[in-house]
Amino acid sequence: MLYSLIVCRSLTYAQRTAAVLGRGGITATIFRSPRAIDQEGCSYCVRVARQRLTDALLLLGRAGLPPKRVLMLTQDGLYQEVVL
Amino acid sequence: MIYFDSAATTLQKPPEVVRASVYAMTHMASPGRGGHRPAMLAAETAFSCRQAAARLFHVEDPEQVVFTFNATHALNIAIKSLVSPGDTVLISGYEHNAVTRPLHALGATVRVFTGPLFDQEALLRSFEEQLDSQVRAVICTHVSNVFGYVLPVEEIAARCRAQGVPLILDASQSAGCLPVDVQALDASFVAMPGHKGLYGPQGTGLLLCRSDTKTLLEGGTGSASARQEMPDFLPDRLEAGTHNIPGVAGLLAGIRYVQREGSAQILRRERRLVQLTARGLSRIPGVTVYAAQDPTLQAGVLSFRTNGADCEEIGERLGRRGIAVRAGLHCAPLAHQSADTFQTGTVRVSFSGLNTPGEVEKFVRELKPILSSFSAPGK
Repeated sequence: MLYSLIVCRSLTYAQRTAAVLGRGGITATIFRSPRAIDQEGCSYCVRVARQRLTDALLLLGRAGLPPKRVLMLTQDGLYQEVVL
Repeated sequence: MIYFDSAATTLQKPPEVVRASVYAMTHMASPGRGGHRPAMLAAETAFSCRQAAARLFHVEDPEQVVFTFNATHALNIAIKSLVSPGDTVLISGYEHNAVTRPLHALGATVRVFTGPLFDQEALLRSFEEQLDSQVRAVICTHVSNVFGYVLPVEEIAARCRAQGVPLILDASQSAGCLPVDVQALDASFVAMPGHKGLYGPQGTGLLLCRSDTKTLLEGGTGSASARQEMPDFLPDRLEAGTHNIPGVAGLLAGIRYVQREGSAQILRRERRLVQLTARGLSRIPGVTVYAAQDPTLQAGVLSFRTNGADCEEIGERLGRRGIAVRAGLHCAPLAHQSADTFQTGTVRVSFSGLNTPGEVEKFVRELKPILSSFSAPGK
């Protein structure tokens, strides 16, 4: 499945993000960020289906919860940064 | 055992608090330290606790809810975030050493606003006289840990807001029984224990943050680990090291208990016990009871002293009869100076919502022969 990762500054922030998305009907799961995308070391991200990313970002914008970074998993298994 | 020392720690916990702590010890690891199930379960519990506290105390978002080891820890962070050496700080005359000792250690210039016990108007007059442009911060307890005196914190907060002076509220004796609305007060920080009126385990506390913070401890946070500076975001900035997750799980169960019972209902029960105790004690010759005429000025704490009997000895003898009270200065010498009880100290009885009128009756019954023995010849 192709998915997007919403990288969060902290675990608590990721939990707030996932809670907002969940209330908005978007399935969101918290994971530790893959080391390959984890620039500062040890962070958490929220995984959402790629086709729900736009809706997710809209919800987060309304809730005042901007993501630190957003990445998409591409067909070749690499992460591509989404310019916000 | 009759336990009347809840101003120090509530001993009788709702059974779900114990269950939650035991479950956490056997099923949960450290939040922010892994993606495995025990770590994520701990993370969910911590987040639920932050959410529950944010709802109860009207905090804008759960990231502003910081776990501490106790209220003293929380107050130290708050004070050291706002106060620098030499700053002028205005504090009430009913503060605990958890406030006065950090200020002393910092070398702050401390002004005290005070007034007679249960006289809110005099206290406010003293506050207004001393609140000027030199004051860097105001620190006020919501309820005196010695006398149960409810301080007029709403009025104090309004005056701080008007003058733009940050307020630190010590909610050690009010959290769980009196309304504490962080946004309405516009307090910079509110500090509280988890193990008193919130019925959590010892080793838990909360700092509700609405101002920039300085770290008290530095270390691992499970975030931004490649950097040597502490994170600049809450709660990670103030939560270095492994969390007390069994404590947090128990605290969550305690907060849910308070929400289910209702703070107002708990306060009603405690006030009824205070009034019963005051009535019973006032009938004993030689006993001075510190009870407010207006019951809304007192929460579930009451002090008394007697002619001719040392308060510590009364506490000791009650303890031998299976009644737990606290005697002495209660780590609040300033409060005793304000109430003119510093030389003798007091015996303090303090209730939780789980105490009963029958316990109060037994306490008064047991106290009478103890006091008589002091007045008997040769004793």
